[in-house]
Amino acid sequence: MEPILPVLLFVAISAAVAVGLVGAAGMVGPKRTSPVKQMPYESGMDPVHDTRRRFDVRFHLVAITFLVFDVELLFLYPWAVASRSPAGIDAAVRDGLVGGRGVVFAGAMVFIALVVIGFAYDWRKGVFRWR
Amino acid sequence: MNAVLPSPTTIAALVKIGLLVGGLMTAAAYLVLLERWIAAWVQDRKGPNRVGIPLTNIRLFGLGQPLADGLKIILKEDFTPSHVDRVLYNAAPLLILAASLAIFAAIPFGSVLPPLGIPGLPDPVPFLVAPGLDVGVLWVFALSSIAVYGVLLGGWASNNKYGFLGGLRSSAQLVAYEIPLGLGLLGVVLAAGSLKLDRIMEAQATSGVWYAFAQPLGFIVFLVASFAEAARLPFDLPEAEQELVGGYHTEYSGIRLLLFLVAEFLHMITAAFLIVIMFLGGWHLWGVTGSAAEVSWAGALVRFAILSAKILGVIVFFMLVRWSWPRFRFDQLMNLAWKVMLPLGLANLVTVAVVEEYRPWLVERLGSSGAGWVALALPWGMFFVGWIVAGLLTPSGTDNRPIHTHGPLDAEQSLAEDLVEA
Repeated sequence: MEPILPVLLFVAISAAVAVGLVGAAGMVGPKRTSPVKQMPYESGMDPVHDTRRRFDVRFHLVAITFLVFDVELLFLYPWAVASRSPAGIDAAVRDGLVGGRGVVFAGAMVFIALVVIGFAYDWRKGVFRWR
Repeated sequence: MNAVLPSPTTIAALVKIGLLVGGLMTAAAYLVLLERWIAAWVQDRKGPNRVGIPLTNIRLFGLGQPLADGLKIILKEDFTPSHVDRVLYNAAPLLILAASLAIFAAIPFGSVLPPLGIPGLPDPVPFLVAPGLDVGVLWVFALSSIAVYGVLLGGWASNNKYGFLGGLRSSAQLVAYEIPLGLGLLGVVLAAGSLKLDRIMEAQATSGVWYAFAQPLGFIVFLVASFAEAARLPFDLPEAEQELVGGYHTEYSGIRLLLFLVAEFLHMITAAFLIVIMFLGGWHLWGVTGSAAEVSWAGALVRFAILSAKILGVIVFFMLVRWSWPRFRFDQLMNLAWKVMLPLGLANLVTVAVVEEYRPWLVERLGSSGAGWVALALPWGMFFVGWIVAGLLTPSGTDNRPIHTHGPLDAEQSLAEDLVEA
């Protein structure tokens, strides 16, 4: 609890700043509305149709590739932190939990190689081709 | 009585939060003025130089401008159009500002204060709101991902075509560049062995080698990705004025627009902090500051000044880039992210991993200075190889002729072609 308390305080205070600014402006500012002002802005034209339509699937592909690579990166963080820190891989090797540094390093390299294979496959499949 | 009062650590945290929030909001306001001055200087005209002390003729080089702007925007109407999704429309600016402020919980803004000797307060006091937070950088990344929600919600809830397109573009861009950003970061984490930003600065101060020199490729990848994450030119497609009016904040006005703009500026400040802390040595400068954990008052101030000066330098660089380079096209942007930055980031990660893994072996063979040179030569070799390969293959260059697929727009297209022929 002790290390996380300042973080929670900070989140609460930032939210309060945001809400306070909007609230202050809401109280001070004028309120004048008109039907034209209420319309969606479309460079001065009357809006053609609603915005809620189907949109292109390419955004979907980007989202999926992002998820794949981001999660793969997340798996690398523990290795990156443990690699040189005193309570990390060296301690684990000393305690006999893993065979040696080489095993962990090889494991990480194999993992990165798998990421690269997946990346090459995506590239060949044209996932990154934005047209 | 003691049970009612918050503990000294909590009070210290509150003081730091107050300083940071106040400082950041002021900094954002005055950096807008600085940006306008730089814009004026680049374009060889006079910038804002009139607003000074009200009711007098004292102009103060326009230093009153941010205050006047802020006051004016608060006095503007807080207007909600009728066609929007009210809940999400109202939540988006609050979310994005709160997230981009709270990022600074894990970002150090100096070194440490000398021991104060206040009972209950652990000495020395670090310039960091949450010193015990082990996940440091991950917090920063988590919250900058939440900022994507603000953009996406704002664009979607506006129920406006410009806003919607801006939101989609923006989310695709932020999401695509998060991966190179993470890869650049991973190399630094690997070399420093910690996710805490203050530890990363200490590691650079101790070795005297900033990670920008030790991992040039990672630095470039991170720099480019942070330009894109902060949506600054040349990557400001989310709000390309000429095509999308205002992008995701087209339908916002008054104070809510201000929240979006301040959040965007805060993203740039965050990016500058991260670049300086992770790659440019933080508060370290050769011969000026040592790597000692405890410093005198003068030392603490010097470190704070060095860190601030570096951050200001990076921010000025951001602003000069804005007025020097044209905007990317969206396919170029995406190709740069996936086909250039991602492979380069992976190459950097593997190089750094190999160097760090075999450093003890190198030290054994070549002595510590020889090992240091090899550990520098390998990443630099990789940097030039990566640069040349990327330059020769130009995977970011694209053939942007439309590919003919059968889709819902085909009928419209053939109709348009018929019209042209007729």
